[in-house]
Amino acid sequence: MNKINKFRKIRIQSFLLLILVIFWGCERDNFQKLDDRNWQLTWSDEFAGTAGQLPDASKWAFDLGTGDNGWGNSELQSYTNSPANVSLDGNGNLVITAIRSGNSFTSARINTKGLFSQKYGRFEARLKTPYGPGLWPAFWMLGTSIETVPWPGCGEIDIMELRGQEPHIIHGTIHGPGYSGGNPITKSYALNNDRFDADFHLYAIEWDKDKIDFFVDDYLYQRIERSDVPGEWVYDEPFFILLNVAVGGNYVGFPTAQTPFPQKMVVDYVRVYQ
Amino acid sequence: MKANILIILKKYIPIGILVLLFMGCERELSDLKPVTFPDNPEVFIDGFSAGLNYAAFGGSVPTAFDVDNKETWNNSKASMRFDVPNVGDPQGAYAGGVFFTETGRNLTGYNALTFWAKASESAVIDLVGLGNDLGASKYQVTISGLQVSTSWKKYIIPLPNSSVLTAERGMFFYSTGPVDGKGYTFWIDELKFENLGTIAHPQFAIFNGEEKVETSFIGVTQNISGLSATFNLPAGVNQSVNAAAAYFNFSSSNEGIATVNESGVVAVVGGPGSAEITARVGNEVAKGSLTLQSIGTFQQAPLPVHPADDVISIFSDAYTSVPVNYYNGYWEPYQTTLSADFEVNGDHILQYIDFNFVGIEFSTPTVDATAMTHLHMDIYIPNTLTADAQLKIELVNEGAASSATSVVNIPVSQSNKWIGLDLPFSGFNGLGSTAKLMQIIFVNENNKISSFYADNIYFYSDGTQPPPPGEPDVAAATPTYPAANVISVFSDAYTAIPGTNLNPDWGQATVVTTIQIQGNNTLKLAGLNYQGIEFGSSQNVTAMGFLHVDFWTANSTALNIFLISPGPVETAYSLAVPTTGWTSIDIPLSSFAPVNLGDVIQIKFDGNGDIYLDNIYFRKN
Repeated sequence: MNKINKFRKIRIQSFLLLILVIFWGCERDNFQKLDDRNWQLTWSDEFAGTAGQLPDASKWAFDLGTGDNGWGNSELQSYTNSPANVSLDGNGNLVITAIRSGNSFTSARINTKGLFSQKYGRFEARLKTPYGPGLWPAFWMLGTSIETVPWPGCGEIDIMELRGQEPHIIHGTIHGPGYSGGNPITKSYALNNDRFDADFHLYAIEWDKDKIDFFVDDYLYQRIERSDVPGEWVYDEPFFILLNVAVGGNYVGFPTAQTPFPQKMVVDYVRVYQ
Repeated sequence: MKANILIILKKYIPIGILVLLFMGCERELSDLKPVTFPDNPEVFIDGFSAGLNYAAFGGSVPTAFDVDNKETWNNSKASMRFDVPNVGDPQGAYAGGVFFTETGRNLTGYNALTFWAKASESAVIDLVGLGNDLGASKYQVTISGLQVSTSWKKYIIPLPNSSVLTAERGMFFYSTGPVDGKGYTFWIDELKFENLGTIAHPQFAIFNGEEKVETSFIGVTQNISGLSATFNLPAGVNQSVNAAAAYFNFSSSNEGIATVNESGVVAVVGGPGSAEITARVGNEVAKGSLTLQSIGTFQQAPLPVHPADDVISIFSDAYTSVPVNYYNGYWEPYQTTLSADFEVNGDHILQYIDFNFVGIEFSTPTVDATAMTHLHMDIYIPNTLTADAQLKIELVNEGAASSATSVVNIPVSQSNKWIGLDLPFSGFNGLGSTAKLMQIIFVNENNKISSFYADNIYFYSDGTQPPPPGEPDVAAATPTYPAANVISVFSDAYTAIPGTNLNPDWGQATVVTTIQIQGNNTLKLAGLNYQGIEFGSSQNVTAMGFLHVDFWTANSTALNIFLISPGPVETAYSLAVPTTGWTSIDIPLSSFAPVNLGDVIQIKFDGNGDIYLDNIYFRKN
């Protein structure tokens, strides 16, 4: 090796080092490398419309009232279809608002049952959560067989749930026969020195016949495969989508006097791909 | 030569890398500011951070703070221990002090002051905060009433807007007293500034978030109050802090009507017209506002004309007032009246808003107004009345069973101007003595007055001689029984039994006269030994139930009243003397048995002293 070459080598090494250091210093960590998929949009709601308008009736239906035993979870709210509880904000978002009046609460829960369902694919929503002890927002799905096969046999996929007293943690969960209620397959994803109600985040699952992958901001934090399920794998039928903000209940506990109200879940869009 | 180049290159390539790095990620050199202060976030971790000092507040226990090596958070080396004294501690009444630095610190990169704390018992620390630099304390932030428990817990004091904290010296301060008279100890550890992404949703407020509307005048100044910042903590609950005005940017919608300076002092400078005072912190609009509706030039209340020697002042800039406990007692639970007192060109004005009733108290000491004859006050109703208003004014004398009242009618035409009220004591219904006056109460009698100003509230003498000591200054209350149910012996309210002799000569020493008190005929028995009254004809009072008499005496120690039927058959009934004001009594006629109630002919008094009598009559039940 002559001296010229040696010089060149040092120069190249230094240049590489420089690039490396610059990436360390300025860039975010690389995301996980996942296989590229060729997703085709099959259904979406961008929530365009004028402020105060109810969500598109061709896409969403309402669950109303208090359900059976607070929707099975001792939840406190009564769901309405009032624009005060659920309406577009005129800026391309859907807002579900939980309101306290004295000791009672109103909120909203909407679903695509009978309007849209799909087996497998990518289901995503970009949204900003509410916050405060006792608040329980969710972006989730139920199997369309629920009319004939009672829960949990129909299956439930919770793409995003959050306990308002832990606004930096979301949970991705599936409930099925033998692994439901307090004993589901679940995993949490926490933000470091940030919280989910401070800004919009993208919550998604990618689901095929073998597995369900859970994402936050396109970061895969949980993969549930057929073999991970202690009971029956019930995720081979079309599922429909639900969005709601519950108040109180077994999962989250009661709101306290210090819980700020009203609380809003702001949904930028819901998109489904195949 | 080439080797030299290599050495040079080896030396400088890393430097070049560093330079490139700075250019790539950091701000431009031209953005750098010449002076920067250290941005050390640590206040007390395991000891005083660089440049930190401590000073105890005056009057506090100077040794309340100490460094503790035993009780620490997470078994760290040291914590800050604060010993709150018991009540009566000779060293000081409370614990309080400031942790400050000699040179400022740049806190703009942080959004919270955090610490771990625990206490020897569950307790409330009265005040903790930062921004107290023992001087102007321009950027003070406090939490009032911080609840601490017996286990270590992390606490967060959010910074309202740290962009202004470029050179802050006040790192931390506290002030707290005993709980239920007893001292306790609390510890603070890991005290430091942090930039937390886990606090969110800042909300700011002035005037506690209220949208206030006030009528005002040129020259009125007031401070923006109720400044706060609220952040949602990592556990999803809100924490509010009291924030200094310097964190806010205030603005007026109309500088020609009202101005506001950076300290939050609002001054009305023009009018008529209105201006809205609002605030921002950074880009956030603060909740709450003050809309000032300026009437323009303030119309002063007329200057009082009474010589100071004839006046006992309660509220006036024209006289020296007696000690007053308060001008608004905020009497719970029914009072809605708030005070919004103001000052115009040196003249202090009371303003009562949301008026239902309000009391002024001057009980320590009470006011002896026996040499006075009137209550004066100037009031101003700053909005148009929808109908004639009635303002009830009550005077309370210590020990009186009830307050004395006078109702003033205020015609619609009298709104928006000063109304001078001169109310004679004699016009206050039920006013006995004025020797121990202690309260003036205003009542919105017919709910027409939403607010009013008051000035020049004082008692004065109009020069008429007040009654000599020992004589009533007010008349006995006028009876209200229908005349048909009454047989009257002596009263201006009823026709007496014809031919009744108020002073029959029974050889008594008593001197009998009829005098006028407030225009009301009153029977005076001076130097009583005994005294009779002979009816013009025998009376059958069997249909009656009571003998009524009003009596007043300051010096009698014995007084009996007798009813007499032929025989003579007479029975005494003892009256309690001396009296406080008028005593009004209804004596059941059965008390006079065995007097023949079908044939009563005389009444007699015996005893001693000077007695004033009125409204002597028989009445039905």
